[in-house]
Amino acid sequence: MILRFEGVSYRYSGAESWTLNGLDLTVHAGERVLIAGSSGSGKSTLCRACIGLVPHFHHGEWIGKVFVDGLDTTRHPVYELFRHAGLVFQNTDAQLFNQTVESELTYGLESLGLSHDEIEQRLDWASRLAELGDLMNRPPHFLSGGEKQRVALGSIIALRPRLLLLDEPFTHLDPQGADDLRRILRIMKSEGMALILVEHRLHEIIQDVDRIIVLHQGKIAAQGLPGQVLAREVSDYGLNLPPLVRLFREMGLKGRPLSLEDAIRELKDQNLVTPFSARLLEEASKFSISLPRTSPPIVEVENICFSYHGLPVLRNVHFKLHRGECVALVGRNGAGKTTLIKHLNGLLRPHSGCLKILGQETRGKPVSELSSHVGFVWQNPNDQLFQPTVREEVWTGPKALGFYDPSWCDELFTRFGLVSLLERSPFTLSEGQKKRVSFAAALAVKPELIVLDEPTAGQDESFRRELAKFIVELQREECTILLVTHDLEFAAEHANRWLVLAEGRIIADGPPEAVMADSKAMIQAGLRPTQGYQLLQALKKMKEDKA
Amino acid sequence: MVFVAAILFMIFHQWASLTVSLAILMAMVLLLRLGLPWLNFFKGLGFAVLTFFVIAWLAFDFPTAVVSALRLLAMGSAFFLFFQTTPPEALSNALLKMGVPYPFAFVLSASIQFVPVLVRRLRNIRDAQRARGIPIEGGLSLLTHLPALAGPLLIQAFKFADELAEAMEARGFGIPGRRFRHVPRFRWMDWMAVIVSVAVLVMAFWNPCFIRG
Repeated sequence: MILRFEGVSYRYSGAESWTLNGLDLTVHAGERVLIAGSSGSGKSTLCRACIGLVPHFHHGEWIGKVFVDGLDTTRHPVYELFRHAGLVFQNTDAQLFNQTVESELTYGLESLGLSHDEIEQRLDWASRLAELGDLMNRPPHFLSGGEKQRVALGSIIALRPRLLLLDEPFTHLDPQGADDLRRILRIMKSEGMALILVEHRLHEIIQDVDRIIVLHQGKIAAQGLPGQVLAREVSDYGLNLPPLVRLFREMGLKGRPLSLEDAIRELKDQNLVTPFSARLLEEASKFSISLPRTSPPIVEVENICFSYHGLPVLRNVHFKLHRGECVALVGRNGAGKTTLIKHLNGLLRPHSGCLKILGQETRGKPVSELSSHVGFVWQNPNDQLFQPTVREEVWTGPKALGFYDPSWCDELFTRFGLVSLLERSPFTLSEGQKKRVSFAAALAVKPELIVLDEPTAGQDESFRRELAKFIVELQREECTILLVTHDLEFAAEHANRWLVLAEGRIIADGPPEAVMADSKAMIQAGLRPTQGYQLLQALKKMKEDKA
Repeated sequence: MVFVAAILFMIFHQWASLTVSLAILMAMVLLLRLGLPWLNFFKGLGFAVLTFFVIAWLAFDFPTAVVSALRLLAMGSAFFLFFQTTPPEALSNALLKMGVPYPFAFVLSASIQFVPVLVRRLRNIRDAQRARGIPIEGGLSLLTHLPALAGPLLIQAFKFADELAEAMEARGFGIPGRRFRHVPRFRWMDWMAVIVSVAVLVMAFWNPCFIRG
């Protein structure tokens, strides 16, 4: 047994409710456990309790006992526990504090007071495992998100803890980065480390874990084998269910398949292949009704090129956005997605080519003028909140742009559930609430186009559902939506068109099904078709084979 | 050494000696192939030098203005050279060697290293605020819209500091008996630099003629 919680309750100082509430938990050596639950269910606090940061670093009220590798965490300081249990935090930037990747990996080893030879040996081992070979002499802060994550992981596994914890490691990774991480975690398993993963998006890792623990309001709401837990009624706990499980559930079918093979076997067993594929095809055709594109486009991007420090980032990018469309911009990290969207309101200017908004050339127009037509909801709402109250925060844009429509603002307050929060300081809100404030603030000026930058990253299922609802409402009001995302499941469900960006070029543009069918473009952009689409294709193929 | 240079520049009060030292510094900049970064740096410093020059001219006289502008430029360049050529790790190692306790030395070098991270955050914040229609275009508008920039930056910096502290604790920052992979050592070059610096400083104070000469 590597970890044991005995009746643990904890609340942060000044907090009213208990973040952990009478938790009993045992994890065995070498076991892989997925901890799921909605935002605020206590997942991150649980991780911190495993390495002693709670209660040593965060003070507060603490009841019960946690044993890590047999050590009582209340009796041993963090610097005695860190060799037994290591945590990879959510924010990669804040956990890399050395000059080079190599010294990042060495830091913990120096803390352990290891001999020179031992340090070299472990350095070599960890860098190989976390695939950091070429990066060892680079400064960590100039690496990509996926690379930083691997450095953070490497710096922890170098300590060879018997328990490794990862707090939402998949949030900022693109599909390729997620694959790399899964591969590394599989090797960790063979090294005999116990693994605790915290994640909303169950499908990222569910096939590789032995057990799921569902956390709800600081208590364990359900636990067991993945298949068993998902077969139970877990929809109230804010879990983003694996896509095939959700599909089966929606169609009222028995079985909770985690993989494509499971799903096909299940359908064969229940003798439902033909009716199921017919229904699935019907659904798909219902969704792919193309929108009328007769109205003049909102945005016209014509052959835009842009380079950064002499390196081309965008090359001849060309597309149009029409009224009422919901378009997903997808592609690898570093493909140029952020650079592209920053052109839409003039934060960046093309080096060649032109960009028209509502038919007007944007060259020479200030950002403040363009931003009345193009609104942004950034990934991190903390980048913009600065007013003393939520109300003033939402009013900031309209006031700066001289467009203020009180009845529209009131409508937004109701729509985003902010009415009871209007006088609160935005800084005291939860992350999900902040996100809603930034949404309302962007919409307050009634932009024709709204750009959502990774709207689902780090958000739980209830936010995803709200977001889907907002998107539908906006489309009904003929607002155009551009969704920048790695979350292809979300993009396939809610966008009616995909733009695929790879190495600065748009390599595919069309309805999701058509893009996913273009396997060459998908591979080039490092994307994988959604499981629902894969299932549909597999069933179609089975039908053809029979015929 | 850079501190010694800074003190020297403060004592120099003739434009000739300042021009000579500036020329030496520039030669070093070119020798180390730092011309382009220096120009970028000068874009920022130049503005300060110019303001300083105008104020000194109005308040005192023309020669004073020239000398103080040159002095500021020389000092800025000296510090620029220092931070361009000295990795923060070397700085913290040197401090450790001088007997500064480990936590202080480490925090100093780590905070230098987080400057680019904060600059990146600030850029994100500026973009986010401009995208809402707040006209932050540089110059004076930076000042009038300071809360829109400083507010989010401060909040993020506090949160960041907290997370950083957690991460450091979790890798044994507080442990007694840390053992270094590369033990910081003073080589003879370092000792030479110290001796030369001390000698120059002593001479400068002992014999004011030296400066004028």
